[in-house]
Amino acid sequence: MPYKAGEHAHDRVDRMSKSVRELLTEMKDTSEVIVDLAYAALLFDSEEIATEVRKLEEEMDTLKYEIRIKAMLATRNKRDAVQLSGLLQIASAAEAISNAAGDMVKLLDLEVDKRPFLSFVLKDAEEKIRMLTLSEKSDMQNRSIQDLSVESETGMRIIAIKRGKRWIYGPEDTTSLKAGDILIVRGTEDGCETLKRYACGDKKWPAYPQEGS
Amino acid sequence: MDRLDEMLLEVKDTSELMIDLAYSSLLYNNHDIAEEVFSMEEAVDEMVGQIQNEAINRVIEDKNAPKALAIIRLSTALEEISDAAMQIADVVLRDVQPHPVIQLSLRDSEVIITAAQVQDDSSLANRTLGDVKLATQSGMWVIAVKRDRRYIYGPDEHTVIAAGDVLFARGPKDGEAYFKDLASGAVKV
Repeated sequence: MPYKAGEHAHDRVDRMSKSVRELLTEMKDTSEVIVDLAYAALLFDSEEIATEVRKLEEEMDTLKYEIRIKAMLATRNKRDAVQLSGLLQIASAAEAISNAAGDMVKLLDLEVDKRPFLSFVLKDAEEKIRMLTLSEKSDMQNRSIQDLSVESETGMRIIAIKRGKRWIYGPEDTTSLKAGDILIVRGTEDGCETLKRYACGDKKWPAYPQEGS
Repeated sequence: MDRLDEMLLEVKDTSELMIDLAYSSLLYNNHDIAEEVFSMEEAVDEMVGQIQNEAINRVIEDKNAPKALAIIRLSTALEEISDAAMQIADVVLRDVQPHPVIQLSLRDSEVIITAAQVQDDSSLANRTLGDVKLATQSGMWVIAVKRDRRYIYGPDEHTVIAAGDVLFARGPKDGEAYFKDLASGAVKV
């Protein structure tokens, strides 16, 4: 069976064991993260984030290949074929979105002084993308994104974390935040102001009484 | 911000709304929303055409070719995203019901779509979305409001919600309960 150079054998096995449902979810999630990252790359003029966008774009190609095979294997009759071709159309759309994100980060190849208007335009978008630093005074440190429920608490989604020289893109719920982390977040202006106050330690993260206590 | 920037921003916001609406149309097998995605795609195409025309006209004046190129490339990418949204919505408009796995996948996703009807004693009734600050409080963004047989797509902070409205929203899984409780009146703000 064909495989891409540099891909580990266990990755392949892992992916082949995934169901159509899991693959489609992964493609949808990736298509959303990749667009956020593309905007962030343009906004913060970050070649590093752009590199991640390109990597995700490649992963998307592999996912599309796997889901096609899985869908074909699941086809038993004409009705299945019609329904699954609809499903594959959604998978294609997710891939098209990731290609568009890849095209967007190509704008970074243009000279910096020729594209200052881009960040200007993106700053006024309905959903804001902002960067903030987690202070050592913040009580958000050493807690996971899930534990804090960052997004449902503040409306801000963490799309990437820069920790020292390392980046964590589309962090998992279980990822713990550390003092000094630079967070790239997406959401409302108000939400960003609120999150900033928690992140710099001006305000304590809200605690809710446990159910039944 | 000049007209060109405004159009670019409008296309960006619309393309994002279209993706959310397209997934909602799939989740609820809703033809009205799917058709709206199609008409939005036409509007985006037209705007992108205008943006690109304007960019070319400007380069004749200011000779800033890289800037024009950047505008043309960005608007093309946004148009691709809106085309993708149309492709997703297209699945709903076929004669056959979408494959059940699609709805399961959408529910498994990190960003979910949900809907709730606003009850008479809900804090949302007779208030604007900006006033309730739903997006900031829960991460849930209202993407469409169904009022009787009419829809308001991409409502903004000034949109007044009425009892009986069905709200379609997008956001994190753990924001869904708050959104539903707010709509039912179980939680007040």
